[in-house]
Amino acid sequence: MSTLAIQAEGLVRDFGPIRALDHLSLEVPSGIVFGFLGPNGAGKTTAIRAFLGLVEPTAGSARVLGFDTRRESHRIRERAGALLEHHGLYERLTAEQNLDFTGRVWHLPASERRARIRELLEQFGLWDRRLEPAGKWSRGMKQKLAVARAVFHRPPLVFLDEPTAGLDPVASAALREDLASLAAGQGVTIFLTTHNLVEAERLCDLVGVIRKGKLAALGPPSSLRTTDDSSVRIVGTGIDQDTADVATTVPGVLEARLLDGALDVKLAEGARPAALVAMLVERGVGIDEVRRDRQTLEETFLELVTDDAATAAPARDRAS
Amino acid sequence: MTADILTVAWKEWLEFRDQLLRLKRGGLSALIVVLLLGIITPLQMGPLWNTSALMLAYWPLLSSGMVSTLIADAFAGERERHTLETLLATRLPDASILLGKILAAVLYGLLFTFANILVGVITLSIRHWNDGLQVPPLSHFGYMLLLVTLACSTMAGVGVFISLKAGTVRQAQQTLGIIMMTLFIGPVLVFQFLDSEGRESLATTLTSLGTARLVMWASGILLVVSVILIVMGLGRFRRGKLTLD
Repeated sequence: MSTLAIQAEGLVRDFGPIRALDHLSLEVPSGIVFGFLGPNGAGKTTAIRAFLGLVEPTAGSARVLGFDTRRESHRIRERAGALLEHHGLYERLTAEQNLDFTGRVWHLPASERRARIRELLEQFGLWDRRLEPAGKWSRGMKQKLAVARAVFHRPPLVFLDEPTAGLDPVASAALREDLASLAAGQGVTIFLTTHNLVEAERLCDLVGVIRKGKLAALGPPSSLRTTDDSSVRIVGTGIDQDTADVATTVPGVLEARLLDGALDVKLAEGARPAALVAMLVERGVGIDEVRRDRQTLEETFLELVTDDAATAAPARDRAS
Repeated sequence: MTADILTVAWKEWLEFRDQLLRLKRGGLSALIVVLLLGIITPLQMGPLWNTSALMLAYWPLLSSGMVSTLIADAFAGERERHTLETLLATRLPDASILLGKILAAVLYGLLFTFANILVGVITLSIRHWNDGLQVPPLSHFGYMLLLVTLACSTMAGVGVFISLKAGTVRQAQQTLGIIMMTLFIGPVLVFQFLDSEGRESLATTLTSLGTARLVMWASGILLVVSVILIVMGLGRFRRGKLTLD
């Protein structure tokens, strides 16, 4: 197998006048959790469909698990699992029958199917309700079942379109853990789209941000967030406007302002906050925390996907 | 390939079965049909119900009518319930999906016929208790089986073709309903347009052919039509197009 699970080069897909994918080039190594982020209509689902060979690219090419999506899409589908935009469960069938159907599709022997059904339904806490039609279940339970179905045949590559949508926080966290262990323990490549940036940050080894069909950013979540060494936030007791005014007199401090009872300080290039901290302690300020201002993935995401930088700025302010 | 066809047919069958078992959804209508056709008609016709050549047209028409109500759901229903794309994202080859759905529909048509004949045989046997078990002659039963299978295959072929194109199940059902009406009323209308000489000539021709040859001719025509329809359905089955529809 190729060391790259997915390799797209200049992938274009037009739907009439709308360009859903615009020269998308992307490389996803095997055995990682890849997060594909983007606003609604950015092209995430179209990309998954193209990788599975469900839509043919207008231009460009892609190889998934080493197979060309145009000519060998059946080989890709043989080796991939997918939870698409809709959970796609047969609601008249029971949970057990839904999974059994998947097992039959992938030619798993009956004994293996039975064991795998039990393993997955127990793992997702659904075993006791296995004989109920899936249509009677809550959205979260259906979502869990759909994830179980996607990984049922132990595929080396799993596409998950918004896997935690509709799940409660506890179930989301449990699912994230399951997905992480799947990738780490079994070397499965997980390609997931999500709007949940906390999820992407916690789960993904690599994140791609797509905007209007184009890849706007690609990298590990930590590298996408920019660390601003010149900004420091000091949290503690006894911080007031006077403290902020005095702070600006300390060498190396360009700007200091009071925000929500904390001190936001802008330092000159290369300056360190030690002198400022010493001065504050001398003035009787009880310091609880001194930290570098670090942009969250959400802020990075908003900057990348919004047209107007001004839209992103208030978001950053709110976050800080 | 065979395993894949059977897998799809198995899944379709589970869905049909669920539909049948839920009285609210259609099981009640199926039950009424069985009671009507399996009890009332045999009581009216008597032992002729088992031997009449008319029944060789009656069962294929009725069973294909039942198939038409189910096959409309094949692709249009999956599309409406958002299960089609997930099915297309599996390893199942196009032909297996299509043929699996056709197989399930044909089996449903056969089961419907068997259920009705069984109820009819029981009804007639009770009614004519002194004459022993009232079963159709083996050759007659064989003709019926052949014609029902082919008629259901043809209807399933028409059905998947329409279901592939239709946006909704309702739309597919309406189109299939029109086709069924044409099949039922068409021959009657043609017969009405013939003058008395024409009718007589047609009746003489059909009688002179004999049941066996008539069945062979009808089977041949149905076989050719169903094969053409299935090949056309396969040609129309495009994963990309179905996904985007």
